Amino acid sequence: MKKILSLILALMMLACAVPALADVAADVAAAEGLTHDELVEKAMAETGPFIVAGTTSRITTAAEAFAELYKIEINSTNLKDLEIYTKLESETIDMVMIQDGAQLLDAIDAGIVINYVPASIKDTVSEEDQYPLAHQFTNKVFIYNNKGDDVPAIHNVWELTDPAMKDRIIFKSPTGEQVNMNFLIMLTSEKWSQKLADAYKAWKGEDIDLGDYKNAGYKWIAEFLPNCQFGKSDTNIAEEISQDTAAGKIGLFVLSKLRSSSVITENLTPAQYAASAEGYTIEPFAGFMYPIYAMVSANANRPYTAMLFIEYLMTAEGFAPWSKSIGAYSGNAAIPEKEGDLPLSTWKETLVVEDPEFILDNFEVEDFIRQYLQ
Amino acid sequence: MPEIVLKNIAKRFGKFVAVENLNLTIESNSFITLLGPSGCGKTTTLRMIAGLETPTEGSITIDGKTVFDADQGINLPPNKRDVGFLFQNYALWPHMTVYQNIAFGLENLKWDKKRIQDRVDEMLKLLKIEQFVKRYPAELSGGQQQRVAIARTLAPSPQVLFMDEPLSNLDAKLRGEMRTELKRLHSDTNSTFVYVTHDQLEAMTLSTRVCLMETGVLQQYAPPLEIYNKPANMFVASFVGNPTMNFIPAQVDSVSGNTVSLTTLGRKAVFTAETPVQAVGKEAVIGVRPEFLPIRENGALKAAIYSTLPSGMETTVKAACGDTMLTSVVFGSVDYRVDTEVHMDVVGDSIVLFDKENGKNAGVGKLEFA
Amino acid sequence: MEQTLKRKITWTRMKGRLHAWLSKPANIILLVFLIALAVLTLYPLLSLLMETVTVHLGKEARAAKLEVGAHTLYHFKRIFATSENNYSWIQFYKPFLNTLAVSVTSSIIAILFGGVVAFLITRTNLKFKKFVSAVFVFPYIMPSWTLALFWETFFKNVNIGLKTSNGIMASVFGVFMPEWFVYGFFPIALVLGLHYAPFAYILIGGILRNMDANLEEAATILRTPRWRIIWRITLPIVKPAMLSTFLLVFASSMSAYSVPVFLGSPVRYYVLSTTMKELMNTYKGQAYIIVGVMILFGVAILMLNQKVTNSRKQFTTVTGKSGQISKINLKKANMPIAILLVVVLLLVAVVPLVTFALESLIVKAGDYTPGNMTLDFWIGTGLDKRLDQGDSTGILLNPKVWKALGFSLALALTCSVVAGTCGILVGYGVAKRRGSRLASWVSSLSFFPYLMPSLAFGAIYLSMSSKIPWLHGFLLLGLVGSVKYLPFASRSGVNAMLQLSGEIEEAAVINGVPWWKRMLRVIFPIQKSSFLSGYLLPMVSCMRELSLFVLLVPTSNTILTTMLMQYSEKGWAQFGNAINLLIIIVVLLVNFLVNKLTGASIDKGVGG
Repeated sequence: MKKILSLILALMMLACAVPALADVAADVAAAEGLTHDELVEKAMAETGPFIVAGTTSRITTAAEAFAELYKIEINSTNLKDLEIYTKLESETIDMVMIQDGAQLLDAIDAGIVINYVPASIKDTVSEEDQYPLAHQFTNKVFIYNNKGDDVPAIHNVWELTDPAMKDRIIFKSPTGEQVNMNFLIMLTSEKWSQKLADAYKAWKGEDIDLGDYKNAGYKWIAEFLPNCQFGKSDTNIAEEISQDTAAGKIGLFVLSKLRSSSVITENLTPAQYAASAEGYTIEPFAGFMYPIYAMVSANANRPYTAMLFIEYLMTAEGFAPWSKSIGAYSGNAAIPEKEGDLPLSTWKETLVVEDPEFILDNFEVEDFIRQYLQ
Repeated sequence: MPEIVLKNIAKRFGKFVAVENLNLTIESNSFITLLGPSGCGKTTTLRMIAGLETPTEGSITIDGKTVFDADQGINLPPNKRDVGFLFQNYALWPHMTVYQNIAFGLENLKWDKKRIQDRVDEMLKLLKIEQFVKRYPAELSGGQQQRVAIARTLAPSPQVLFMDEPLSNLDAKLRGEMRTELKRLHSDTNSTFVYVTHDQLEAMTLSTRVCLMETGVLQQYAPPLEIYNKPANMFVASFVGNPTMNFIPAQVDSVSGNTVSLTTLGRKAVFTAETPVQAVGKEAVIGVRPEFLPIRENGALKAAIYSTLPSGMETTVKAACGDTMLTSVVFGSVDYRVDTEVHMDVVGDSIVLFDKENGKNAGVGKLEFA
Repeated sequence: MEQTLKRKITWTRMKGRLHAWLSKPANIILLVFLIALAVLTLYPLLSLLMETVTVHLGKEARAAKLEVGAHTLYHFKRIFATSENNYSWIQFYKPFLNTLAVSVTSSIIAILFGGVVAFLITRTNLKFKKFVSAVFVFPYIMPSWTLALFWETFFKNVNIGLKTSNGIMASVFGVFMPEWFVYGFFPIALVLGLHYAPFAYILIGGILRNMDANLEEAATILRTPRWRIIWRITLPIVKPAMLSTFLLVFASSMSAYSVPVFLGSPVRYYVLSTTMKELMNTYKGQAYIIVGVMILFGVAILMLNQKVTNSRKQFTTVTGKSGQISKINLKKANMPIAILLVVVLLLVAVVPLVTFALESLIVKAGDYTPGNMTLDFWIGTGLDKRLDQGDSTGILLNPKVWKALGFSLALALTCSVVAGTCGILVGYGVAKRRGSRLASWVSSLSFFPYLMPSLAFGAIYLSMSSKIPWLHGFLLLGLVGSVKYLPFASRSGVNAMLQLSGEIEEAAVINGVPWWKRMLRVIFPIQKSSFLSGYLLPMVSCMRELSLFVLLVPTSNTILTTMLMQYSEKGWAQFGNAINLLIIIVVLLVNFLVNKLTGASIDKGVGG
């Protein structure tokens, strides 16, 4: 009896096992040294549907161009990062573009997605952006409505903690999108809390009084969030702040949303643009920045095509859907930013860039942050 | 004691006529039944008197007070007419106990608690349902529910009590018992009862007057025995009485005063009425109650037995006389073999002559074969 | 020897009894459904319980300092008893209280509004009855977020919420509504109440329509004032219907997600479903605990409901001469009440549609001048170049939209056929074996999916499907939809069957007509419209369902509602509004067509 039971169990496990998990990882490892042509050859030998999913809507445009180029059929979909993980549990997806590095590191450790760095770009992508491979950077910056006589053209982020700023700042809820949470967590790091403390002194002219707060980062979060209103989406925030009726408002949202036709662009001024033009800097940051990573899915049906697509996305051609507007910066240093935008290097200096390792070690700060979301 | 007068009452639902030109006087302290087949307008009439339905035309007065008048635009709501109403399905409130059901109407009269309690107890005793006082309607049998409904209706001592086929949901035995109770109640309470039924036996046994209706039109309004013996028309004659009256076709040969010479069942005969015979056409129908058609050894009519239905106290015999099937009721139990030849007589002075064309009663009297 | 003989006889008798038992189709149906429903509803419930004690990948494992897959009570401690940073209060107790307040209030609103309208329609000579009863079910047919979205776009203004722009009320009429009116508790409860008011209308209306008018007349004769009749007679009799409504609306409101997101989040008003969704992303264990709490609440109300309806005061009403109901004459109040009702219904059911149409035409938000309008979002091409937002073509030219529409329709059809047919079978079995334990088990189990919040139901099925290789894609969606909508179908199935006298089938049995033929040729034709209504409700609900399917929809095949959600999350409002309008039009069209062709209608489905 026991034997039969264990046999049944074994059969069931066989039936349920996700097939060929190890193979994809092996394929990716084996592909490290492959040239572009060899990669194409292997990719073209694969059959079946090719499915990609990403947090950026423009993945669809890129996928269509890729499909055109290699004459293959491709299915692309635009999902939120956490939905992508849920999807990966239950269905085959070949390649994903995903944000929130901290969670991604966990997913890589768990063998859900696999990092792949195409040989052709090893030299043009900086070392720190290769694991996980950052396809591009997105920045959310302070952008204000330039109408009326109370324009919040800030010079120092502590200005945003002023009670007079109550209900004038619009942000996307940190619980709605993890990268926003990550930004706040980063502020409690040694580096940023120090910078915030310095900025406080520059603003008030006196040393910061921390009270019960662990450091200046905590204090800023605790005083900034209560002044915020939370918008539904970055597009929605951009639209709302751009209204003529929204004079006096400032937002922290994706810079590239300025491209939207539904946004009245002339009413909006990114704080950092104003600062750069007038030669000052916003103390100590003008917003934050996070990478969107390109990964091979561990349950990929066409791993080589996935790798080829990643390689394609890292080229100027593959980046075209993003490079046509401001607010998107390729991880490949050889691809320049959109004309009129600031270069990635400048942004990296003036924005809070997320550090997945730090976030993983300090995720409990979230509980502290949550209190101020109520 | 109130008298109810209906004048030219009509009720139409769109094109459908429920009641047409009804004139009726219900004397005080009487027990009136509205009788007729289903759909004849009797329930509508009752509901109009109670105020649950609004007549299209006419007027109604109760105890000299006009409660409805189409021309004057008077229409008193039911709660201002001082009437009681007993519904066919009792309409007991399922969420109230027996006590609450009975007390409900008294509470509306703003009686004090003690008085309500006393009256409810009185009612419970009168209808012998004391032991059910705390039960809900769903926990009672049909007969018990019926008693509760009566108690609820009688509790405020209404001057007029309307009943809409209150016994139709009961079994035959219980129905018989309840009839006795109702008649007793009528004499005890001294109020006017108006009772709707399609059961002619109930109408005959209970009421002081029967109002027989068909398709919205009053057919006859008379005491039960008059209805039975002197039906106004063939419809009344056939609706009342069980077994049904025999309708024998006849040709009228001549009419003079009280006598009519006619041919029926292939024989010449003379009909002699009590009063001068009303206009009658060539074709007539002779109405003979089964009890006036005894089987006798030397009877005038020859017939062949078709079937025999003994019921103990009496026996209904069906026999074919030529082409005509005749029904006779014989006292006691008799049994005839099928196709036996028997002889029958037409006896008594309650034979009715109808005009075939309009079905009206032309005269009541004796029939003698030549 | 004698003993073996005895045993043999007992055995033969048992075999005979078993055979007799199995020869009745009703028994087999009930048995099959008992097993199937146990697997399809109890198994998810069990796996939900397992999830509440399992450690999941990510922060959860880090926070619990445990291996992924380990079992622990950590999640319970964390969500119910963590005072640090006010965690439990923020994540559970406060949203819990908000949920209670919203659900109770919306149930009361639904009962009051739906009940009053049902009363007006069935018991008075109100004008425009036809219009009112036709339009009243609209809010239910439309996706629930429709009204929420409309509420916000219509009433928002620069004094409240984001304080950035004016909606139609402020910009056109110059009326600035206060914040409590536009965001938070009040509008959430109101919108949910209005959305589910058709339940009350259908259930209470059903009883009022079938209620013996004599019960009220008896009170009239006994000189009861009108208000006292309503209070003491009518209300107690419709009480069971009110309780049923309460159960349905409470359970639905509790698990409603989109409405509180649209109207609550801007003022930081959170309920259990929004917290649950958020936790589902990072702390799955705690999210499933919240789901458990919601289900417990549903079950508690269900039990309360059953206790009340099973009491001594049996409410089964003998239908009397219902043709003789005398309707209350509203006299002078008729016109004002009728007009008020029509205006409210127009506001709730028709104006949103107009608003969506408008919003799908304008380019820059908030600017309603003709110069700012375009049909591009419907039929434009090359939009990505010109607008740099959203898809490259208008939705009517977008093959993805048509594909999604096709997929939505196919899914809705599948769910409706499966759920509807199962509903009839359950109805047959339960009605035939009324009062038996087996029948009451099956009927309770078939109602259970209703109490499971859609989002969680989807999540559990997703995790189940990852263990069963062949269960994915369309099959998975169809299964989930069918199980989730079975309560509607089985309800109408049971109602329809109970109305049917057993003799009708027995007459066919005597003539030796086989079971399937009896179902197809005798039973189905007689109760056709009731049964078809049982098909219609799952169909309509499926077409406009989002939360149930959002996690399960395959990457390669999206449905209209998830597409709409993606568009709105991206902030592509015009595309979103256009698709929303498309969904509503398709649903109304389907409803209308089915209604015209077969006589089936939503209200028959729910009320019977």
